[in-house]
Amino acid sequence: MDANIKTLNKKIELAHLGGGQKRIDKQHEKKKLTARERIHYLLDDGSFEEIGILVTHRTTDFGMEKEIYYGDGVVTGYGTVNGRLIYLFAQDFTVFGGALSETHAEKICKIMDLAMKTRAPLIGLNDSGGARIQEGVRSLGGYADIFYRNVQASGVIPQISAIMGPCAGGAVYSPAMTDFTMMVKNTSYMFVTGPNVVKTVTNEEVTSEELGGASTHSSKSGVAHITSSNDAQCLEDLKSLLSYLPQNNTETPKNLPFILKDEVRDQLATIIPDSANKPYDMHEVITGIIDEDSFYEIHKEYAENIIVGFARLGGRSVGIVANQPMFLAGVLDVNSSKKAARFTRFCDCFNIPLLVLVDVPGFLPGTDQEWNGIITNGAKLLYALSEATVPRVTVITRKAYGGAYDVMNSKHIGADLNYAWPSAEIAVMGAKGASEIIFRKEISAADNPEQKLLEKESEYAEKFANPYRAAQRGFIDEVIMPQDTRRKLIKAFSMLENKKVELPKKKHGNIPL
Amino acid sequence: MSNTYKTTVNAEHDFDISCDQLSQLDAVHTSQNSYHILEDNSSFKATVVSSDFAKKTYNIQVNSNNYEVVIKDEIDILIKEMGFTVGASKQLNNLISPMPGLIIDVQVTAGQEVKEGDTLVILSAMKMENSFISPTDGVIKAVHVVKDDAVDKGQLLVEFEEEK
Amino acid sequence: MKTIKKILIANRGEIAIRVIRTAKKMGIKTVAIYATVDRNAPHVRYADEAVCVGNAPSSESYLRGGKIIEVAQKLKVDAIHPGYGFLSENSAFAKAVTQAQMIFIGPEAHAIEIMGSKLAAKEAVKAYDIPMVPGIDEAITDVEKAKAIAAKIGYPILIKASAGGGGKGMRVVEKDSELASQMSTAISEATAAFGDGSVFIEKYVASPRHIEIQVMADNHGNVIHLFERECSIQRRHQKVVEEAPSVVLTPQLREEMGQAAIKVAKACNYRGAGTVEFLLDDQLNFYFLEMNTRLQVEHPVTELISGTDLVELQIRVARGEQLSIAQEDLSIKGHALELRVYAEDPLNDFLPSVGNLSTYILPEGPGIRVDNGFEQGMDIPIYYDPMLSKLIVYAPTREEAIELLSKAIDDYKIEGVQTTLPFGKFVCEHDAFRSGNFDTHFVKNYYSPEALKEGFKEEARIAALIALKQHIKEQHILRLPTV
Repeated sequence: MDANIKTLNKKIELAHLGGGQKRIDKQHEKKKLTARERIHYLLDDGSFEEIGILVTHRTTDFGMEKEIYYGDGVVTGYGTVNGRLIYLFAQDFTVFGGALSETHAEKICKIMDLAMKTRAPLIGLNDSGGARIQEGVRSLGGYADIFYRNVQASGVIPQISAIMGPCAGGAVYSPAMTDFTMMVKNTSYMFVTGPNVVKTVTNEEVTSEELGGASTHSSKSGVAHITSSNDAQCLEDLKSLLSYLPQNNTETPKNLPFILKDEVRDQLATIIPDSANKPYDMHEVITGIIDEDSFYEIHKEYAENIIVGFARLGGRSVGIVANQPMFLAGVLDVNSSKKAARFTRFCDCFNIPLLVLVDVPGFLPGTDQEWNGIITNGAKLLYALSEATVPRVTVITRKAYGGAYDVMNSKHIGADLNYAWPSAEIAVMGAKGASEIIFRKEISAADNPEQKLLEKESEYAEKFANPYRAAQRGFIDEVIMPQDTRRKLIKAFSMLENKKVELPKKKHGNIPL
Repeated sequence: MSNTYKTTVNAEHDFDISCDQLSQLDAVHTSQNSYHILEDNSSFKATVVSSDFAKKTYNIQVNSNNYEVVIKDEIDILIKEMGFTVGASKQLNNLISPMPGLIIDVQVTAGQEVKEGDTLVILSAMKMENSFISPTDGVIKAVHVVKDDAVDKGQLLVEFEEEK
Repeated sequence: MKTIKKILIANRGEIAIRVIRTAKKMGIKTVAIYATVDRNAPHVRYADEAVCVGNAPSSESYLRGGKIIEVAQKLKVDAIHPGYGFLSENSAFAKAVTQAQMIFIGPEAHAIEIMGSKLAAKEAVKAYDIPMVPGIDEAITDVEKAKAIAAKIGYPILIKASAGGGGKGMRVVEKDSELASQMSTAISEATAAFGDGSVFIEKYVASPRHIEIQVMADNHGNVIHLFERECSIQRRHQKVVEEAPSVVLTPQLREEMGQAAIKVAKACNYRGAGTVEFLLDDQLNFYFLEMNTRLQVEHPVTELISGTDLVELQIRVARGEQLSIAQEDLSIKGHALELRVYAEDPLNDFLPSVGNLSTYILPEGPGIRVDNGFEQGMDIPIYYDPMLSKLIVYAPTREEAIELLSKAIDDYKIEGVQTTLPFGKFVCEHDAFRSGNFDTHFVKNYYSPEALKEGFKEEARIAALIALKQHIKEQHILRLPTV
């Protein structure tokens, strides 16, 4: 037996070295951790069980049989993160540059199947140069096997992709279809076609970083939901993200222990400026409502006119969608609608209640928006919210004008509770615009049209720029004191805990994509 | 599993310990969580007061003094060597007052770029002046106090811009 | 004989509690005063009545003599005990209390005034043939005159600022050639610190020990001394460890110093408890320094070795009673040590350590007395002196007392602030202290933060090893996913 054990240990030792110490050192030089180091850091000490450590590739073309590595460039298995079971794969850049082969993909698929069988989250640490060319179509097939499983799992178990190195070509579609994509600054990039091919085809000169680095995807394309400054920070951020999510779509996220006190937040009373045209930072309102230090923002640098992210209310995990008056006055546009819509649908998939904070003057006008389909894209958010059966609560802090009022989780589209602050203005449009239309004749007939307009404007504002018309009709359930918002919301979500609503049976709706 | 660990005791003393060294420790159990140790013929009593396995942090009482020990394994050491800074929460290095007192000088303004070690605010408490220096390079987002303000313990004094 | 049925304690913290404790023993009602920030302080809760006298800063509360007297009159207080610090040596306050038809538990105002000025004190005491540090009593500025005086006194000499203390304007001069430059430095330092450049010269006592004698006097001309206290362990000119009796005094010397102290008290018609401070040089010559006209912080060590309650004696004397103890009735029994537990960081130049007392557990046992002013969970207020308590031990011999203090320090659990406890331990374990062979330069000569840290290092290493051992043990436990 001793000899047998010795043989096994030797193989394991080799497997642990991946592509060899020299390549490990190179990885470190590039300020990247190896796959195994990342797993060790991410998972609870001693919890990792590796599956398929001795798998090798089967290719014999191009002399590939001479280069065999145990594990074939990916480390797969399961473990726990803060005590919770998760499945993961971590591509090993030291083996063939992490390139995907048939067997490499098989390992990943096996893990995905196990994750689906046991309904636990799937995490992918991507660090790969792409398909292993020598494998030919077999690697393409491997990718597709993964893609198909991503889709089967979508909405059943949370799937998170961390891009911790290159991710190019077809490989990018897997992260694209997972729930969240995280990127590491300076050492990761994603694109379908790399700079070299881009140069030859379109003659554009562009660096990898510019084309598909973390900053590009976090602000321009919105492909990346979270960016982290380094590998270790990325893994910490991943752990943090997981804490807000349940294991699968039949569970709700676990509440953190929380001792309730009076929960009054006086600072909320002074955030809204007196002038309706002065902006304020909606983040302050969010901070004033949620548990201390609990906000996890998604898509922070993309479509900044809307804020989405996870937070805790009295220990309960909630999803927040909030207009940001400080940016583009908080209007809704193509990108912000898409950002909020996908986030909403994710929360709905995984039983995470939604809190919507509203201060929206309308949709962004202009040819750019119209020609880019603000119509269908704006509808996405409306659709996503209407379809969501998780508890949904709205708080209107200031403006809620026109169609945007409808879209932002109004009572009519199925919100459970709608609150408004005394500063709320729920109207068809702003006082100025409305007066110009309604009192057009009076104004043009007046001696001093400007004066008349101002007069009519304040008349209109007094009558309509408030929450009371809506409250009278029950469109708003209660006009609340800002300082009490947190109290109200904690109670509201507790009351709504067992909400059960079902959509009419259908294969799936036809959201305007 | 590592072969060497770095330990930090009470945030003051650092010790590198290898598994070999640990195996040479002459310690016998006197109860479930207590040991009697003979080191260089000197006698010590130690008790494990509390342990947090996930955070690798332990409180050990030796003779009658309490020590907090934080353990770092090879990966933690590697991460430190690679220069990665890791913050568990997404908040940044805001300057919070560690004690109540009176602000006697404010040396930075919003928007200012500072280097690690620059003086930010001077606070007077218990008849002594405390200079608070910047914990990091960065840009000041906001200064929340002015000269002559009385501040409470835990009060936010200076806010830093989030690292981009 | 006057009656005292109610006493107001014009102080806070441990001394207020100390006075109230004796008052309760004697069946006297007590009134506490407090600043807003002290509303929940132990001394407020311990007294029978309590009145808020103002906001946190001392000048707006505990130093408001007028307000305090007003409060006392309103509550029909018979006597006011000033404690130490605050208004205890404020002659105007003492006078005002008497004028308000109340008893000031302490000496008459004029005794406070005389002894309040170092120069006036020396003047008053001159006639009584008390040995004093050779020097001149008037401020001088003339270097030549200084040289002449220095030559007469003999080097080394000390140049001291007349207007203040704390080491500012103080310069030791070893030889004649340095005098001119040192003097000009001292004068400029004093001018900068106090606005007054007057300096005077006295002999520099090498290896001085700080010995003080406790005296008690009544209204009937009786003055007794209650032996000495050794207070040489000081840092930044503040006492940290005190003991009674002193290792170095012979019975004869003790009697000499005791009698000298009594004379000093008589020189100003003293009444009540007082302390006469002396410097003792390595030849066992003693020199009068000053008199403190109040009950001192370190009075407990005297109480323990003499078997008396000094606060009780103060109150009796204030009532007009004759001292029931005569000098021949007093004798020293056993040995007492006191460690002042300050919220200060001995590793950081003893700067105040602010915070909250998350853990605060007092040591207990025979021979252990803690005069305490704080409780677990309290914040250390920034406005006042950072003394948490006095840790006092009493044992039959000095060796046993040191061991007892060492153990009491181990058992005293304080977390949330740094304290002088580790420093106390350091002193207990140091040869110079244990042998009795030390003077006021002890801290300067032997103490450094590194020395303290080194002591911990070995234990810290053991802690690290045990922690790692525990960690590895825990690594082997099989863990399953919880969720």
